[in-house]
Amino acid sequence: MKRSNLPNIILFVICAALSLLVLTPVAMIAVNSLKNSRESALFGLNLPKDFVWKNYAFVLSKPAVVRGFLNTILIAVAAVLVTNVSAAMAAYIIQRRPGKISRAVYYTFLLGLVIPVSIIPTIRLMMNLHLHNTYQGIILYFIAVNLPFTIFLFAGFMSSVPKEMDEAAMMEGCGRLRMFFQIILPLLSTVFVTSTIVVAIAVWDDFLGPFYLISDYKKWTIVLNIYSFVSQYETNWGVVFAFLMLVMAPILALYFALQRHIISGVTAGSVKG
Amino acid sequence: MTNVQRQSYPYWFLLPAFAIFALMFLVPTGTGIYYSFTDWNINTEKINFVGLQNYRELFTDKKLVAALSHTLVYAFSVTLLRNAIGLGLALLLNTKVRLRGLFRTVFFLPYMISPIIIGYLFTAIYHPANGLLNGALRLVGLKFMAVDWLNDPRYALLSTIFVDVWRTAGFSMVIYLAGLQMIPTELFESASLDGARYPQTFRYITFPLIAPSLTINLTLSLIGTMKVFVMILVLTNGGPGYATEVINTYVMTSFSLGLYGQGTAANMLLTLLIVLIGFPVLVLLRKREVAL
Repeated sequence: MKRSNLPNIILFVICAALSLLVLTPVAMIAVNSLKNSRESALFGLNLPKDFVWKNYAFVLSKPAVVRGFLNTILIAVAAVLVTNVSAAMAAYIIQRRPGKISRAVYYTFLLGLVIPVSIIPTIRLMMNLHLHNTYQGIILYFIAVNLPFTIFLFAGFMSSVPKEMDEAAMMEGCGRLRMFFQIILPLLSTVFVTSTIVVAIAVWDDFLGPFYLISDYKKWTIVLNIYSFVSQYETNWGVVFAFLMLVMAPILALYFALQRHIISGVTAGSVKG
Repeated sequence: MTNVQRQSYPYWFLLPAFAIFALMFLVPTGTGIYYSFTDWNINTEKINFVGLQNYRELFTDKKLVAALSHTLVYAFSVTLLRNAIGLGLALLLNTKVRLRGLFRTVFFLPYMISPIIIGYLFTAIYHPANGLLNGALRLVGLKFMAVDWLNDPRYALLSTIFVDVWRTAGFSMVIYLAGLQMIPTELFESASLDGARYPQTFRYITFPLIAPSLTINLTLSLIGTMKVFVMILVLTNGGPGYATEVINTYVMTSFSLGLYGQGTAANMLLTLLIVLIGFPVLVLLRKREVAL
């Protein structure tokens, strides 16, 4: 496989140097999150003179921060559940019943992969429906923006579920709802893992949607809490970095534990079915 | 079969997904087209149709023209750099280099960090006096290059571009790696038997065979980067002056000024830009569908 003339040791050194370019900034957050405000403003890579664990306690003592985490989890769980089930149902028809209607619906969904959200009209619509500033509103928003990719993913995967499964189930006199939920859905478990990862990360990271659609700070997701926290405490980088660590660390821990699933999940659709 | 189909694959299964998508995405897009032709603002009691007025005003606004060109420069620069680097990293890891699995994990890692966090992280790294970047430049004797990266209008846009390249190069890498690993080993073996050198093998075997990865990478990257928002907001807030203004920050300003019609029109320009440049994606996805 290898055809390069460079000895492996040189390649290894290059890779290690490039890794430093990635890891140094991350390490900078970590060490400075434990420094006092004066020392953290120097952004040095040295270990703190005194470990200021208080920074973390300070961030977590803010009720808004804890609420932000809980809001994000609530919104992500709801969005993931509805997106997964409704996308699987739609993809099932799109893949199993080809025809004009299915095709038109599918391409309409795919438009959502390309076109950006018209955010100001979305606010107006939400206000008219009394959904602005509500959990339901932001959850519906996240479902809508994540459905196109999820349906694309499910439709691709669905073709690998043999149609004979459906027919056998029908012979048994299985109702179509029961057939779908008891026989088809369990076969899609790998793609559920993928889409759950993708949708959860999208909700966790997205700024634009919550920024425009939730003005009530009690319903903010964690990224909005970061945004407002930094504008309030920008003179104390120690606590800012502690907050960034609190949001980043769980995701990175998850990433190291499940990196194979996560990488193939996040790049799914662009790599293979 | 048709009868069986109708019974076991009912169209109403499409409904839950389609209803939410239509209500929350298609309706605002559609009404957005209309609002972009109106004088809708924070003071209007009644929204009036004003034809192309918003668009005419936008194109005479220097700030919007700058935002448009910055969005394009940003999108094309990030796309070019992240693909060049991503492909380089993929080629590097597609060798027998030791710990390549670990390196793959590390190179992809920035993509897992929220863009807002990366924005604040690089605000610190670019700090003119204490930031790591200028510290490193001074250390290696390049003191003259230690500029104020985010507050000097000459470098600000470039600085934001580098941040996004840092964040997403690993993503492109993974897609290229998958493409590279699908190339049959025998091709390289017979090429080397024929005396082909690395540049030739790359030019005539590797590159043509990873063309699908290239297309998907380029289009995904162009579409994604044109929608840039939070990173610019956090790093420069469009400044200094409007040196890093992009369409999404412009929309935000219009919105906060209560100029809803104008903001919607600017948003519509972004849609137009993305459709014109990103339409190949749909064609591409259609092709993929055949392969699935």
